[in-house]
Amino acid sequence: MTPTLPRVALSPSSLIGVAALALAVLASGCDLVGLDDDPNPNGLSLEEILADPSEARLSNAAVGVETSARTGLGTYLVSVGVIGREYWRVSPSEPRFTTDLLGKSEATLNDNTFYITTPWAARYGTIRNANTLLLGLDANQTLSDAEKAGGRGFARTWIAYQYLLNLNLTFENGLRFIEPGDDAAGPIVGYGESLDRIAALLDQAASDLNGGTFFFPTSLVRDVPAAPVDYGQINRALAARVDAYREDWQGVLDALDDSFVGAAAPLTVGAYHVFSTAAGDIQNPFFFPLDGGGDGVLAHPSFVADIAPGDERIGKVEARTEPRTFDDLTSAFDVDVYETPTSPVPVVRNAELLLLRAEANAQLGNAAAAVADLDVIRTAAGLDPYAGPTDTAALIDEVLRQRRYELYAEGHRWIDARRYGRLGTLPIDRAEDDVFEQFPLPEAETSDPTA
Amino acid sequence: MAASPIRHALVAALLVLPALASAQTVRGTVTNADGGDPVPGVAVSVPATTIGVRTDVDGAYEIELPPGQRRLQFSFVGFRTQDVTVPEGQTVVDVALEEDLLGLDEVVVTGLGTSVKRENSALSVETISARELAEVTTPQTLDGALNGKVTGAVVNSNSGAPGGGINIRLRGITTINGNSQPLYVLDGLILSNDAVSNGVNAVTAAAGGGNASSQDNPANRIADLPPEDIESIEILKGPSAAAIYGARAANGVVVIRTKRGAAGTTEVGFEQTVGVATISRKRGSRAFTAALAEEEFGASGLAAFDANGGQTFDLEEQIYGNEGLLLTSNLSISGGTDRTQFFVSGIVKDDEGIVEGTGYEKQSGRVNLTHRLSRVFEVDAGANYIRSVARRGLTGNDNSGTTFGVGLVSTPSFIDLRPGADGVYPDNPFNSANFLETRDLADIRETNNRFLGNGRLTANVFTSATQSLQLIGIGGVDYYALDQPSVFPVDLQFEEASGLPGTSVLGRTTNLNTNIQALAVHAYAPEGRQLSFTTQLGLTAFDQDYNNVFSVTNGLISDQQNLDQGSSIQTTQTRFFQNDRALFAQEEVNYADAVIVSGGVRIERSSANGDVGRYYAYPKAGLAVNLTNLGLLESDAVDLLKLRVAFGQTGNTAPFGSKFTTFGTATIAGNIGLDLGAQRGFADIEPERATEFEGGVDLTLFNGRVNLEATAYAKSIDNLLLNRQVPFSTGFTVETLNGGQLRNNGVELGLSLIPVSTDLVQWISRTSFWTNRAEVTQLDVPAFQATGGGFGNTLGSIRIEEGKSPTQIVGVDDTDGDGRSDGVFALGDVSPDFQMSFFNDVSIARRLRLTVFGHWKKGGEVINLTELLSDLSRTSADFDEDNDGDGTPDGPQRLGQLGVTARPFVQAASYFKLREVGLYYDVAPSLFGPLSGSLRTLRVGVSANNLFTITPYKSYDPEVSNFGNQAVASGVEVAPFPSSRAFNVHLRLGL
Repeated sequence: MTPTLPRVALSPSSLIGVAALALAVLASGCDLVGLDDDPNPNGLSLEEILADPSEARLSNAAVGVETSARTGLGTYLVSVGVIGREYWRVSPSEPRFTTDLLGKSEATLNDNTFYITTPWAARYGTIRNANTLLLGLDANQTLSDAEKAGGRGFARTWIAYQYLLNLNLTFENGLRFIEPGDDAAGPIVGYGESLDRIAALLDQAASDLNGGTFFFPTSLVRDVPAAPVDYGQINRALAARVDAYREDWQGVLDALDDSFVGAAAPLTVGAYHVFSTAAGDIQNPFFFPLDGGGDGVLAHPSFVADIAPGDERIGKVEARTEPRTFDDLTSAFDVDVYETPTSPVPVVRNAELLLLRAEANAQLGNAAAAVADLDVIRTAAGLDPYAGPTDTAALIDEVLRQRRYELYAEGHRWIDARRYGRLGTLPIDRAEDDVFEQFPLPEAETSDPTA
Repeated sequence: MAASPIRHALVAALLVLPALASAQTVRGTVTNADGGDPVPGVAVSVPATTIGVRTDVDGAYEIELPPGQRRLQFSFVGFRTQDVTVPEGQTVVDVALEEDLLGLDEVVVTGLGTSVKRENSALSVETISARELAEVTTPQTLDGALNGKVTGAVVNSNSGAPGGGINIRLRGITTINGNSQPLYVLDGLILSNDAVSNGVNAVTAAAGGGNASSQDNPANRIADLPPEDIESIEILKGPSAAAIYGARAANGVVVIRTKRGAAGTTEVGFEQTVGVATISRKRGSRAFTAALAEEEFGASGLAAFDANGGQTFDLEEQIYGNEGLLLTSNLSISGGTDRTQFFVSGIVKDDEGIVEGTGYEKQSGRVNLTHRLSRVFEVDAGANYIRSVARRGLTGNDNSGTTFGVGLVSTPSFIDLRPGADGVYPDNPFNSANFLETRDLADIRETNNRFLGNGRLTANVFTSATQSLQLIGIGGVDYYALDQPSVFPVDLQFEEASGLPGTSVLGRTTNLNTNIQALAVHAYAPEGRQLSFTTQLGLTAFDQDYNNVFSVTNGLISDQQNLDQGSSIQTTQTRFFQNDRALFAQEEVNYADAVIVSGGVRIERSSANGDVGRYYAYPKAGLAVNLTNLGLLESDAVDLLKLRVAFGQTGNTAPFGSKFTTFGTATIAGNIGLDLGAQRGFADIEPERATEFEGGVDLTLFNGRVNLEATAYAKSIDNLLLNRQVPFSTGFTVETLNGGQLRNNGVELGLSLIPVSTDLVQWISRTSFWTNRAEVTQLDVPAFQATGGGFGNTLGSIRIEEGKSPTQIVGVDDTDGDGRSDGVFALGDVSPDFQMSFFNDVSIARRLRLTVFGHWKKGGEVINLTELLSDLSRTSADFDEDNDGDGTPDGPQRLGQLGVTARPFVQAASYFKLREVGLYYDVAPSLFGPLSGSLRTLRVGVSANNLFTITPYKSYDPEVSNFGNQAVASGVEVAPFPSSRAFNVHLRLGL
């Protein structure tokens, strides 16, 4: 008997179907089994660059040092400027600008908060980029010795400057130094020794730059508005700053001799981080709209209260339509140093160099030379020449005062007050506020077992 | 159809000879015990053999009973399975099936090509029916519809913004830095559940401050799926169940089955829902007087107060007070013949949000077809096109004062932000944005066009009384093209003030997921023994191709939005390609439905691994012992007592790119530079491995009136993908590595009851309880803040630390009461102590049906920074109150603790939510009047979503996450989009 419902069914048509199914599986066989091992589609990898350090790639790497040196710069200027009572950063959504940084009530600086972690990590990121460039230069076979020397001098100048900025934050809590190619940085090094190592790096870079040529474009050197400034001169300008921090006054003068300092040159001549609205570029991170009610930077009232009559640098702040009160802080002025989203931020400029020279001369007892440079600054600001006492203490007071106004919102006042032991003179805005001396090392450094 | 001679010959040659002996033909009709209608499609089978047929359109069947076999089994989805012993000589067996009210006889997935009756499962598999999912009320998105309904899951809505954004974690914490969301599989198709940021960070700068994680509050793409099309969802919660899905299944698998047609009359269903959404809870705002305004904000505050004549405004009502109209229309047509069944549906949804201009729209069309080509071949195919538009507003954290949320808390109530008679919006003197202006003039939307296609070809190659072989080919494609344009016109307060006014953001993402599976399933039931073997072999391939291009233009020409209409364009592109390949094998042995043993292994490799050639193995095993069927338990009260134990492993592949150390680029002065990324790559990256042991007891009593399912599990995850912070002095900030171990232990209890079952009243009740304890048992790196785990210790952060719960909240604290911070201490935990859900369904006279679904989360804390921001802006409603009675008003008291202790921000976030309530009435056909010819059913109803919430939490909703879906960190709140409640009226027609 034939079952009504056959339990087996393998007709020719179904055999064809089975074959078709099998073929379909086979046809897609490569898909079912194969696997791609692609490189990262989203960018060059570190290994790719080190394996093939062509001139073009190293040129990109060099440019990358200058681009990345701008990362976190806005936070750096906030951190040092707020503690230095140059201004208050106010934000309806970020309380710690006006609590932690000002030491409100019992608040202290935390070791895992953006005001230290962001700039600290960014500076080491630039160091990493510069160290990658150094490794690539070692491995490259096509560049000339002069080109390699120029590249090394460029990289080391940047490395030294990045260390210096982080040391400005952590001061006696120190720094860690990392060599090219190393996976981890060395142990924590104290303030004095760190400064010495930074100075040595700058010296090494200077000798590389001397006779070196650049095979890559650089944007740092700005003829603002005239006088080309080369990298070797920038290197020496930074060395002068480091020597001032080290209180090596003769060193300051020696370094300045090889820098672009000039009493007749515009005060703005120097090296700048530049910004633009071009694709891939960034805008000035310290640019804030004026007269705003949200995120902004209020000038510390003491800037206006303490300014000398007739000082044209009053233009660095702008009166608000209405005073603004935020977190018990009231100011009638906004900071107006960076006027557009593409205003450059100085790395080092002639005005600072003149003031460094004045400071060194004052410390060395060369009062006349000191006053001469101070007067360049004063005159440019529309003030009369200096007429006060010319003893060292008085001249240093004047140097610090001019630095405060001339270098306003460029990241100096807190560090200047600290190196002269004058943090106690910075204004206290609310009864229980504190002026902190230094930032703690980021938790990521201190909790590291290799530290 | 005339059979060819060749075919007869083949049949004769291959047909089993023993069957010729004395096989007996049995026929009959299967009907629904409730009403007596015939039930087509019922599986009629001879237990312990591979013989089986299905009933036809009239519920009729005819089957051969082999010699010695006297039993027949009748089973069909939604009905209790019935076993019938056929008396010798009887040839007609009619059966009336009872409805399976508690889901006792569902089948659950055990392999990629196989499933078993729940009764025989060695695993706890959660099934959510269409009724529970989308028929109580009208959920906006699929993920939202799951909230509270999955025993063992922590489902957390990231905000109340329209269009989804929900974090689902199954059985605790399974990863710290890997993908944390379950794998979604729809009819064999692996779905994309990407969460793509819309890039409004270009305006909010939220990621620029204390936490670089995305805070754009993206929705997951699973939200696209219309819940209305879903027949059932099975949730494979742990590795024991999910091992068949291998290296993508460590977070569990959500297996979705869409609706299919059934043979018989064509059914047309139409449903219209009309509803309204309102804010479910307000925070309130401080009452200002002239004196207070002057005290807090100085002379300018007083001037602003006086400018409006001392008038105050309910700003919260102005921004979050919209009564959003909710409209959903759903038309479905289904039916078919014995050989072809179809299901067609169209859904149109247009929901407004509680902020004017926000909302969620969806249009979806689906066709599902099933066709039996021959006795051998069956094809099943589905196609779904979905278009969704989400307008989610601008909420959450920012560093620019631009979001509605930050704007609201920073603006005191005496400020009037409404436009003047000239239509010009006043500037907000207390923030950089007038949030009413931003709401009305900015356009922030995401439009997704998505196609899902899936097909399954089954070949029943060979069938005999003792053996069958099935070949199954499954293919699927999921493609979406997501557009995320946001336009901030030049006139906005913050745009006017910026250097380059006007911002246009455009994100375009395309993603293609394809997957193919080829399976062979062999069943063997040796004659005369109560044994059956099911063997499964197969291979699967999965490919993903993702491409995201994202551009921001600043300095717009007025009223223009195209990217070329601005002075500055920034573009980024992110691509990734992932290929996964796997082979698997599985064996199940069933002895008399009493002892079921299964084991299997999947080996898998992936292009995301460091070694792309290496296969990783994921084994599994399970044992179920049914004491009732084993005959060890003779009791009238006990229908079923089953003990089960299972083991399984799954993996979690590293996020794409983890193996690379990649250079980013940036330009300066027109030159392009290489800038090494902050993440250090790990060339040898491996998948995480989750291992789970699960055991449980299933007990059914009193003729299926009581069902208890109890499960305990221990799940550990080894070789964790850790994104550890590295010392920044390396030049990197994070690196991914494998190391460490996490453990989860949990208990899940489900009690289903039919307390009342009479002709008049039927009451079904389901109560679930679940709890999970997680611990980081080994951490090869120093303790660190979880990705998205807050904003540092001052404000409280979620810290991964050995020996601690991975969701612990730590923060600075003053332990000795001297008013100074004494360091960082544990202050709470995001994970709840336990959760319970309560589902009750009462129907009266089979016409009136009331369903109530409540969800209780006990314990768990949230870091509430909305309160902090409103304190800082002196606008907290309770700023001047003194709730602790210590003489210091609460606002100043909390502010005084900032930096001393993070305790005020770590707030209890227990809640009870009445999530869904529905009341429906089926109008009697006798009342249809002139429509009675065309109308089959008419149902009217009302429902509510999120009717009320009881919580001690002091903000909008304890369900919140500023950072979206993070592996560990949810529960940080910064001025989110508030949650809403919805009331709906429903009309359902059956034609």
